[in-house]
Amino acid sequence: MTQKIAIIAGHDGKKITTATWELFAFAQKLADSSNSGSDNTDICFYLIGENTREGAEEISFRSGCPVIAADVPGTRNYQGPIFKKTLLKLFSKNTFNYIIAPHNTSGMDYAPAISLGLGGTCMTAVEDVKEKEGSLLFLRSMYGGKIQARMEIDAPLAILTLAPGAFKPVQPEKNSTADVSHIIIDTPQAKMTYIGSLPSPSQGSNLAKAEVIVAGGRGIEEEENYQFIEQLADIFPRAATGASRPICDYGWVKYSQQVGATGTIVAPKLYIACGISGSTQHLEGIRDSRFIIAINSDPDAPILQVADVCIIEDLTEFIPIVVEAYKNRKRPAN
Amino acid sequence: MKILVCIKQVLESGTDIKIDESGKWVHYSDSSRFEINPYDNYAIEEAILIKEKFEDAHIDVITVGPDRTADVLRRALGMGADEAIHIIDKTDGYRPPAVTASWISAYAKDKKYDLILTGIMSEDEMNAQTGPMIAQIMDLPCATATIRQNISEDKKSITIEREIEGGERDQFDITLPCVLTIQTGINSPRYPALSKVLRAKKKTFDIIQSETLDMPVHTPKLNDIILPIKEAQGLFIEGNIENKADQLLKILASRSLL
Ligand SMILES: Cc1cc2nc3c(=O)[nH]c(=O)nc-3n(C[C@H](O)[C@H](O)[C@H](O)COP(=O)(O)OP(=O)(O)OC[C@H]3O[C@@H](n4cnc5c(N)ncnc54)[C@H](O)[C@@H]3O)c2cc1C
Ligand SMILES: Nc1ncnc2c1ncn2[C@@H]1O[C@H](COP(=O)(O)O)[C@@H](O)[C@H]1O
Repeated sequence: MTQKIAIIAGHDGKKITTATWELFAFAQKLADSSNSGSDNTDICFYLIGENTREGAEEISFRSGCPVIAADVPGTRNYQGPIFKKTLLKLFSKNTFNYIIAPHNTSGMDYAPAISLGLGGTCMTAVEDVKEKEGSLLFLRSMYGGKIQARMEIDAPLAILTLAPGAFKPVQPEKNSTADVSHIIIDTPQAKMTYIGSLPSPSQGSNLAKAEVIVAGGRGIEEEENYQFIEQLADIFPRAATGASRPICDYGWVKYSQQVGATGTIVAPKLYIACGISGSTQHLEGIRDSRFIIAINSDPDAPILQVADVCIIEDLTEFIPIVVEAYKNRKRPAN
Repeated sequence: MKILVCIKQVLESGTDIKIDESGKWVHYSDSSRFEINPYDNYAIEEAILIKEKFEDAHIDVITVGPDRTADVLRRALGMGADEAIHIIDKTDGYRPPAVTASWISAYAKDKKYDLILTGIMSEDEMNAQTGPMIAQIMDLPCATATIRQNISEDKKSITIEREIEGGERDQFDITLPCVLTIQTGINSPRYPALSKVLRAKKKTFDIIQSETLDMPVHTPKLNDIILPIKEAQGLFIEGNIENKADQLLKILASRSLL
C-alpha cells in the first residue's frame, strides 16, 4: 500500500518559505519511519494563494515532487475562511494519510478546523517522529518545553503542524520536471471578510540590527527589576535591551523591545537571555544569534538547550555582581 | 448579546513538573496548586469589557474538568461573569482538544451565543486547537490570535484584528455569531473583586456529567510523557556567584564582546 503525504507549502511573495523545506525534511523522515508498513510514500505539495505558478514550478523543480497550485484571487494575505474552504475542497476527493503544515499563525488557524472537516485527527507543534514497535510516536512539547508528550495517531488521516526550527530545512536540487497542476478556485463567500492590514507595534525596532542584545523575561518578576537588564547592557560599548512577550503585555517595556515570532527576529553577535524560559515562540526570534548566554534560576529551563553558556543564578543577585566585577576590572590595578 | 467564555484550570506556573507512576501524565499531589490558564484571563476580561459597553450583555463561563476545576469558574464569576457551567469529567489526565471542543459545542449549540471566546492556547498542553474546533463543529466563523475587537452598534457584526508573524495585524469584518481566540496583550485582566467572590461562593453552577455527552470518532492518543532529552547543552559555568561573574567576563572578553 502506498502512503500519501501532502505538504502545505508557503510562498512569501519573493521566495518559497523556509518552513516549506522544513516540512519536506519532516515528510522524508515520516516516510522513512513508517515504511515498514507500506511499500512506498508519495509526497505532494500544495501551494495556495495568489499567482502561485512560479512558486509551484520552483518547488517541483527542486523537490522532484508533484505540486498542486491553487490560485484563489484576492488572497495575498492569509484569510482563514477562504483558506479552510479551499483546503476542504482540495482534500475531500484526495485521500492522504498525512497533511502537514507549518505551525505558524496560519497553520494554527486552519489545521484544527480542517482536521474535523475531513474526518481526521489533529496534532499541533509536532517536533519529531520515531518508530516504536511498529507504530509511530509523534513528539510535541507541553508545559513550555518542560515535558514532551509522545502521541499516537489512530485515524486514517492526520493533520500535523510542524514546530518551526524542529527540522533543518532541506535544500533539494533535484532539477526535475515533476507535474505541476494549476487550478483556479473561486473566492468563496464568507461571513468573515478581510478589510486590511496594520503594521506591527514593533516595526522599526532597533533590535533587528543590534550586535549585542540583553533581554529580560518574566523572571525579572517586577517592573523595577528591568533596571538589571539595563545595567548589564551598559557594560557593553553598544547594546540594545530586549524582552520576552509577557513583560511587554504587562506594559513594563514597549512592544518595540519584544523578541520572538510575533515581535522582532534578531541576529546579534551576542544575545543574553535573563529570566527567559525559552518558549518556541521566543526561540524562533533568536535562532540566528551567533552566541547565546542564558541566566536562569532553573537548571531545567528549555533555554539552556540552545544557550552556548548557561548560568544558574537569580538574575537580581548575579547581574549586580557582574557589573561590579566589570568595573573593578576596568579600574587600573595598583 | 450573549457571550460564552471557555476557561481551563492548569497547574500554577512555576510548579516543579513531575511525571506520575503510570508515565502517562503529570503527577498531581495534595499540595499541587492550580490556577486559571493565564491566557484565559484575557478572554474573560475582554468579555467584561464588552459587557461594560453593551449593558444587555450576559457572560457565561464554561469549563471541562474534574471537580477541583470549579475553582476557575468561581474566579471568573469574581471577575464579573454572570453564570457558570461545569462539564464534569472525572478522568483527571490528558483529554484531547477535540473532545473538549465537542462537549462545549454540544452544550452551546442551542444557546444562541453571539460570541464564543477562548484563550489562544492552554499553558500546559499548548494545543491551540479548542477554539478553532468549536467554530468548525458549530459552523461559525473564527478568528484566532485576536488582538483587538469592536462590535458594531447594531450588534450584528464585529471588526477584529488578528496578530500574524512579526506582530503585524490583519483586520476582518465578521458577521456574528463567531468564535474568537484571544491573544495576550489585548487588555489588562482585572483581579476578582472581593464582593463578587463572596457572591460567587453561594452561586450554583449548571452541571453536566461528561458521560452524557458523545465522544468524537477520532482523537490522537497519548502514549506517554517524558522529560526532554538534553542533547545539546552549552557550557554550564560552575563555582560560587562571584566566580561565575568572573568567568562570564573572561568569556566575553575572549570573544572581544566587551
Ligand atoms: C501565538 C503566540 C505568539 C507568541 N509570540 C511570542 C514572542 O514573539 N516572543 C515571546 O517572548 N513570547 C511569545 N509568546 C509567548 C510564549 O509562549 C511564552 O509564554 C513566553 O515567551 C514566556 O516568556 P518568559 O520566558 O519571559 O516567561 P516564563 O516562561 O514564565 O519564564 C520565566 C523564566 O524565568 C526564570 N526565572 C524566574 N525567576 C528568576 C530569577 N530570579 N532569576 C533568573 N531566572 C528566573 C524561570 O526559571 C523561567 O525559566 C507567544 C505565544 C503565542 C501563543
Ligand atoms: N478543559 C477546558 N475547559 C474549557 N475550556 C478549555 C478547556 N481546555 C481548553 N479550553 C479553552 O481552549 C483554549 C485553548 O486550549 P488548547 O486548545 O488546549 O490550547 C483555552 O485557552 C481555553 O479557553
